[in-house]
Amino acid sequence: MMQKMKTNFLLLLLIALGSTSLVAQEKFTVSGTIKDKKTGETLIGASVQLKNFLNVGAVTNEYGFYSLQIPNGKQEVIFSYLGYNTIVAKLELLKSTVFDVSMDDSVVLDEVVISAERQDDNLTKPEMGVEKLNMSDIAKIPVLFGEKDVLKTIQLLPGIKSIGEGSSGFSVRGGATDQNLILLDEAPVYNASHLLGFFSTFNSDAIKDATIIKGNSPAQYGGRLSSVLDVKMKEGNNKDYSVSGGLGLISSKVSIEGPIQEGKSSFFISGRRTYADVFLKLTEDFKDSKLYFYDLNAKANYRINEKNRVFLSGYFGRDVLGLGDSFGINWGNATGTLRWNSILNEKLFSNTSLIYSNYDYNISLSSGESDFNINSNIKDYNIKQDFSYFANPTNSIRFGFQAIHHTITPSSFSGTVNSNEPQVGRQAWENAIYFNNVYKPSDKWSIDYGVRASGYIILGGDTYNIYDKGVRTESITLASGEVGKTYYTIEPRLTLNYRLSNTKSIKAGYARNSQHLHLLSNSTGSNPTDQWIGNSYNIKPELADQISLGYSQNFEDNQYEFGVETYYKAMQNQVDFKDGADLQTSPDVESELLFGQGRAYGLEMIIKKKSGKFTGWLSYTLSKTERKIDGINDNNWYNARQDRTHDVSIVGTYTLNKKWSLSGVFVYNTGNAVTFPTGKYNLNGNTIYQYSSRNADRMPANHRLDISATYDFKKKGKYESSLNFGVYNIYGRENAFTITFRDNELDPTKTEALQTSLFRWVPSVSYNFKF
Amino acid sequence: MSNKKYSMKLLIFVFALVIFFTSCEKVIELDLSTADAKLVIEGNITNQAGPYFVKLTKTLPFDQPSIYPGVAGATITISDNTGVKDTLVYTDKGIYLTTTLQGIVGRTYTLKVVSEGKTYEAKSTMPAFVPLDTIRISSFTFGGQEQKFLIPVYTDPKELGNNYNFRLIVNDTLDKSYITWNDNTNNGVPNQRPLGRSDSNFKTGDDVFLEMQCVDLSAFNYYFTLAELANGGAGGGITPSNPPNNISGGALGLFSAHTSQVKEIKIP
Repeated sequence: MMQKMKTNFLLLLLIALGSTSLVAQEKFTVSGTIKDKKTGETLIGASVQLKNFLNVGAVTNEYGFYSLQIPNGKQEVIFSYLGYNTIVAKLELLKSTVFDVSMDDSVVLDEVVISAERQDDNLTKPEMGVEKLNMSDIAKIPVLFGEKDVLKTIQLLPGIKSIGEGSSGFSVRGGATDQNLILLDEAPVYNASHLLGFFSTFNSDAIKDATIIKGNSPAQYGGRLSSVLDVKMKEGNNKDYSVSGGLGLISSKVSIEGPIQEGKSSFFISGRRTYADVFLKLTEDFKDSKLYFYDLNAKANYRINEKNRVFLSGYFGRDVLGLGDSFGINWGNATGTLRWNSILNEKLFSNTSLIYSNYDYNISLSSGESDFNINSNIKDYNIKQDFSYFANPTNSIRFGFQAIHHTITPSSFSGTVNSNEPQVGRQAWENAIYFNNVYKPSDKWSIDYGVRASGYIILGGDTYNIYDKGVRTESITLASGEVGKTYYTIEPRLTLNYRLSNTKSIKAGYARNSQHLHLLSNSTGSNPTDQWIGNSYNIKPELADQISLGYSQNFEDNQYEFGVETYYKAMQNQVDFKDGADLQTSPDVESELLFGQGRAYGLEMIIKKKSGKFTGWLSYTLSKTERKIDGINDNNWYNARQDRTHDVSIVGTYTLNKKWSLSGVFVYNTGNAVTFPTGKYNLNGNTIYQYSSRNADRMPANHRLDISATYDFKKKGKYESSLNFGVYNIYGRENAFTITFRDNELDPTKTEALQTSLFRWVPSVSYNFKF
Repeated sequence: MSNKKYSMKLLIFVFALVIFFTSCEKVIELDLSTADAKLVIEGNITNQAGPYFVKLTKTLPFDQPSIYPGVAGATITISDNTGVKDTLVYTDKGIYLTTTLQGIVGRTYTLKVVSEGKTYEAKSTMPAFVPLDTIRISSFTFGGQEQKFLIPVYTDPKELGNNYNFRLIVNDTLDKSYITWNDNTNNGVPNQRPLGRSDSNFKTGDDVFLEMQCVDLSAFNYYFTLAELANGGAGGGITPSNPPNNISGGALGLFSAHTSQVKEIKIP
């Protein structure tokens, strides 16, 4: 209380004296990097604040760098980060100074004393629709087959929906799955799923941090309509070597990390592989079959000097399926990022990245006398220059540019018996410049505003057809080196945060996003053969305008966090398909496309308990998503596939004692919008179903409870281990995966609906270790 | 079934088998809404000898027995682009027969139906005849079982734009599969694409009649959409819709002028 009064008094004094008093004072800047004491990993989003000026503060950027101007005289600077011991440093600056901080996370449960300044971030930051996932939270949450997974855990948060049971594909605020920008160390991942979507490409052991932003992203992000999922790989321990790993039912994984130069640079390598095929080999019938996927994450960083650091990170993942020599399919992503961090001066931080990203699939069929191959890929070369300019305590500016060169090759057929011309890769530049500022005029207000301008330039080397309602009207052949049509979009964004009191704040935001790449998928599941396509003479950039309003309140000394947000989103130039579209073999898939608009609105609520023996959250989403496409549903609005009215998730972890902890997840949601028959007829001897309005029906509601228990073994020297047991869908609810219609086998005059359910009582066990 | 879909099906099959998940199927009761009954027109003209028939029926609600009421009292004519015109004669159960018309490759046929005060029209052109030379059997072993497929042996003409539709009759029963493809891939070369039954395998001793039809683009689109729908219903697969057809006036069904050739094979 005294503290607060004192602060208020000081503020009043400052206001009374006018801001000149601050300017008149000579000020120096303290800047540096905040790291984990034990491993040397940099901490993202750690906060730095002055004890006597609570509105003066900074947050570390993605590379753990902070910069803060502080007034003359002795100042107490508070460094804090959730789950770490707070450090208070008494500084008296005589010149601008570099001050690196190492923070310790050896806190004991129940005795956690974390400064309030950090715990109420949700109230002070001008961020909307942002959720950050802590990797240790994910560890205990039960998941299908016991494979802990970032993409599955985010689906338990409000506004983020799974597209199907067990799927890693997700929809954010009514967006399609391709409207999420999924970044792994800045490199876009074009297909983030393994094995038809039941697993994601993110090996949770290799991940340091994941943040999802639902539409109101700062201007340094762009290129997708609905969300940004920013995943950062671990950098590796620069103090000591360590090995960790896990054995599970489906896969096993191992990670090795350690210093390259002690205390300065480090490496991290992690691999994961499934082994169902090892068992297949043992069976007589399936010994020729191949079925596995793997992920390999590697990262190294090297500190050149105090001010310069380089990072090299890579990801390779692939799914391989095959039957002897007769049939094979494989697909996967490869990404590589080379980054150079440079502290140009105490206020200006620069990051330069060179990024490579590739996704491809191959199918081969061999029938002894002939071979047949299908392949497709998308390849990016990307350069990014980003500056963080910590102008003064009230303004943090980000600006920079990005240039991506895309090569997109649609399905191309080749083989011994084939007369088709191979498809050529379409090339394009996707460039952007941006500016963003976080402005904190007072301890009540914070304002985040920015603009991103992007351009998509079609490059020559292919023929582009123009269609009017599926009929070709014009054809444009661009010679190699020629520049074709260019699209520009301007994307402003603004988020306001007003702190009503110590425990309450309100937020409002507007953002426009654009998208130049589009995924062609006419099935609800995630399919490795779904293709990306860029803007063309028919396909215009997708645009989304989103407004949102929010309210946050913390209770019980910030132990409980409550948040509610509403949003309305209008989308233009959405891509859909003609009835009976042939997306696979059509010579020009653009002839199969239709265009229109979309709208989505909803209300999202979350209550979180962040500390104590019991932690977890309750989330609820009420939403509506519709589309209106020229040529579908008589040009009337209809429910989008991902439209669901209610979504509830309850996630809880209870720590019984030092050895045991229990977790549970309960989810309930309205069924997806689907189209059921409204009648039937017979043609040429077959029963055919008649359909009326699109997506006017509902699948049955889904619900299930998953539980898990974790046992932590006693630590022996450096060796730590734990055992995790889980059951997915413990009460065996038969959730409908598909509903199909057919003639009754015994009585062909009867037709019936057949429901297929996938996962009931799926057990899992995994053993994790670290030394 | 195109090659790719064929491989995707295999992929899903392999996955389902290996992950040993407790997938379960059951017949459920659904409260489906019912649209007003609509006229359904089924009309086929082939290069085989006539008479040909046009069948008029009405749609039924999903939960009623599939005994489709025939529509009598309609006036139906079929004419071709050379001036031949035939007025069809009603027989029974909604079936109307041609009297003199003979289907000829290359001609465009116009169907005109006047029923219950409404007029419906459709046009279809009989494409060039591509001979089905023979049927081969191909097989591979999966999970210790031999899986058999038929390969219709024919050579696709050089020009792009040939569409094929196949009908399988196995042991006197029409198979529910929709097998339809075009020459977007493998144009102008001998066919290598295999075809199989909708939800079971060929067994030794099966008596199989394979009909190969060369169909026009609108019939291809119709069958292709049905094939896509058959690959998965609500929740999986594509969003269902009525297949786009060539009949104006709002009737369901299809009018198709196509070539037809049937070959018989006994599965060894």
